[in-house]
Amino acid sequence: MSLLISRRLFPAAAALLAVTLAAPAARAQSRAETLRYVTGASVNTLDPNIPGSTREAFALSMSSYDRLVSFGRKQLNGKWVFDLDTITGELAESYAVSSDGLKITFKLRPDAKFHDGTPVTAEDVKWSLDRCVTAPVLGKAQLLTGSLTSADQFKVIDPLTFEVTLPRPDKLALPNLATVYPIIINSKLAKAHATADDPWALNWTKENEAGSGAYIVETFKPGEQAIAKRNEAWNRGSPDKPASFKRLIIQSVPEPATRANLVERGDADLVIDLQASDVQALEGKGKLKVISTPQYNAVTFISMNNKIPPFDNVNVRRAIAYALPYDDMFKAALFSRGSPMFGATWTDGKPPSGAYPIPQPVKFDLDKARGYLKDAGLPEGFSTTFSFNVGQASSAEPMAALVKESLEKIGIKVDIQKLPDAQMSTAINEKKLPFFTEGIVAWLPSTDYFYRNFYTGNQRWNYSSTDNAELEKIAQAARFEPDKAKYEAAGKELNAIHFDQMLQIPLWQPAQDAVMAPNLDGYVYQFTRQVDYRNLSRK
Amino acid sequence: MGMIGATLIRAGQRFLSSLPALFGVLVFTFLLMRVLPGDPAVFFASGPNAGKEEIEVIRKQLGLDKPMPEQLAIYLYDVGRGNLGRSMMTGQPVEKDLKERLPASLELTLTALLIALISAVPLGVVAALRPNSLIDHGVRLFCSLGVCVPTFVSGLLLIYVFYYLLGLAPDPTGRVDIFTTPPPARTGFLLIDFLLAGDLDGWWAAVRQLMLPAFTMALFVIAPLARITRASMLVSLGSEFVRTARSVGLSRWRIVVTYALRNAILPVITIAGIVFSTMLGANVLVEKVFSWPGVASYALDALLVSDYAPVQGFVLLMASVFVVVNLLVDVLYGIADPRATVA
Repeated sequence: MSLLISRRLFPAAAALLAVTLAAPAARAQSRAETLRYVTGASVNTLDPNIPGSTREAFALSMSSYDRLVSFGRKQLNGKWVFDLDTITGELAESYAVSSDGLKITFKLRPDAKFHDGTPVTAEDVKWSLDRCVTAPVLGKAQLLTGSLTSADQFKVIDPLTFEVTLPRPDKLALPNLATVYPIIINSKLAKAHATADDPWALNWTKENEAGSGAYIVETFKPGEQAIAKRNEAWNRGSPDKPASFKRLIIQSVPEPATRANLVERGDADLVIDLQASDVQALEGKGKLKVISTPQYNAVTFISMNNKIPPFDNVNVRRAIAYALPYDDMFKAALFSRGSPMFGATWTDGKPPSGAYPIPQPVKFDLDKARGYLKDAGLPEGFSTTFSFNVGQASSAEPMAALVKESLEKIGIKVDIQKLPDAQMSTAINEKKLPFFTEGIVAWLPSTDYFYRNFYTGNQRWNYSSTDNAELEKIAQAARFEPDKAKYEAAGKELNAIHFDQMLQIPLWQPAQDAVMAPNLDGYVYQFTRQVDYRNLSRK
Repeated sequence: MGMIGATLIRAGQRFLSSLPALFGVLVFTFLLMRVLPGDPAVFFASGPNAGKEEIEVIRKQLGLDKPMPEQLAIYLYDVGRGNLGRSMMTGQPVEKDLKERLPASLELTLTALLIALISAVPLGVVAALRPNSLIDHGVRLFCSLGVCVPTFVSGLLLIYVFYYLLGLAPDPTGRVDIFTTPPPARTGFLLIDFLLAGDLDGWWAAVRQLMLPAFTMALFVIAPLARITRASMLVSLGSEFVRTARSVGLSRWRIVVTYALRNAILPVITIAGIVFSTMLGANVLVEKVFSWPGVASYALDALLVSDYAPVQGFVLLMASVFVVVNLLVDVLYGIADPRATVA
């Protein structure tokens, strides 16, 4: 009997594919008012402060929560990027910094309300910032970089006035309040869900949103999608009106080729993590809008642990720097999408600028590399490993092959190691990798910040394990240097040390390729390296 | 009646004897995860400013600061109470994640298996009826192609043709079109939930969404099923009872289906059971290509970032599924061939 059925079904099954697929899809009418953003990553928490938060979670929190202040935008080579130097009020209607730079006073917007309709008060701000510096959250380490370390620094003056006191004038204090972590939470709501073990309601905010931001989270399925609707009462955008899209869909689509298909077919509106080859192809077809912005707050390196022999010898590091086929690597890894950090000319061998990172005066020169290797006492070369993580494979793998091929010519035998992401971070943290490629990013990119965080201390981000007293002294002093000219001079000194010691080799700043529907408008490259959904509108 | 009773007793015995194996899997996975070189605390403390302090906070939160025997004891105690731990990756309890994702994987795998069986058994029978004919070679070619094209290639190919070029398929993202409101979750199986909610449009949307991934997976497993059907049909058709049936002049249909196939189906059931369990755990590529929120892609993501709890939970789940499927195969065996219960 069952076979009889299956026999009849067989031709039917063969035809099933075509038939089922031919029916028209039921589309909701609000498609034009919906922004559908697809990503290979996923939102894993609604509170960006939770340890382990992903960048997608940061991006969503920018729209679901407000902060006291936010960054403005500026044009860089014709593209809109975030502007660290323009800080505008978000929940704060205005702010004032005292003449000695030790007090910042915020006037809150009287009309601002949380998503449940209760007004935002200075009490909420105090609770939220106290939490950020006290609870075991990510914000703690971030706010530290702006001299914000203790709840004593935050004071409620009246329900709409709030004051921050600083131990010393710190130019990073205000920008820090515009970063991802210092979200302003509906404190009454959160406190109602606090427990004795969890006084700051972290477990609750992880899955529930209690903000006042431009979008209200409706559905949140970690690893799949997050859907939010517009907060009609929100007026913190630049023209004092709510965000443009009525609905926001953030969907995880792990396969990059599928993401490319979706946006090309017009089913998705925006994607920022396509493979460079797909971006190239889509740009060539000319149907979509592609905005490529070099990630000017990020750098990709070839790093050498300055403490592991033979990389403890500066001449070995120099030899490597001149033995890399930069142009080929740039093409193979990124299809040259980004801004190169090699091939510069420094007049008199001095850094032309105190900014970080700046293009280095290195180029592919095997004879020079052989010379340095000889100076290092290793004319025959040596053997080493070169590591990268699986998550970066699409760009790092072709690059690693070129590194191996080229170094072989000067006698350095390279064994390529491809490590799962967690294993790579562990090995870097334990300082076990001699030679590898990795990237860094800073939300508040200033020269001293880069040098203090990425070139000092026995910690994970000091890839090169640099331990240079002079560098540390200049960077620490520069942090509180109010004079712009002196700051620039300090930056130049730091850059000179970096090149002289060849601490590690900056390769490039990869481009952020935002591929979007042609009618999408307002994209701005943000410090989070994610999309700020509030910027976008449809023409 | 006695037959069913015997089958049930056999199934019960098999279940009891599989418990030690499940326990072994539990302990083994636990140890294996901790031997792997990645440290989840370091990975998850990856905000731009995360330092030693953050790493310690996470390590403590995960209970990794305790000695390993103590961790194991805590873990076994938790599992005993039905608590599989919390995933760092999704921030959710593992049992909740698995409960949401298992129906997605099951729905896809069952549909694929059904498609595969419906096409493989007739293919195998037809091939066995005319061995070494053009049809036989045709079936062989089709099967070889199906099995030698990796699923992510056939999946991307199907997407390219049916979605990108022809525009017939809905966008290959998940279980239901994102603009369709999902039904209230009762069973977790969308096809059933939509019917329960009386939403036929939604049901149709879910069917359409299911077709491409299911066919992709089916293509891959048609080969073993069709080959085993053919081989066992050949044996069965050459046997004496078929010759006797032919000699007494029974109809061809009756000979092939009632006598030959009934006897040939046992190995097919066995293989189908194995294929099903393998598909469920190993369809990670299909799940990735079609953004299918299933358990396999969940486990792979967790493994890459050394998120212990989900990987352990997944392995335990898979082991349990294997046990259940084996039991089911045993029961089906008894029904297909009553002699099997005696053995």
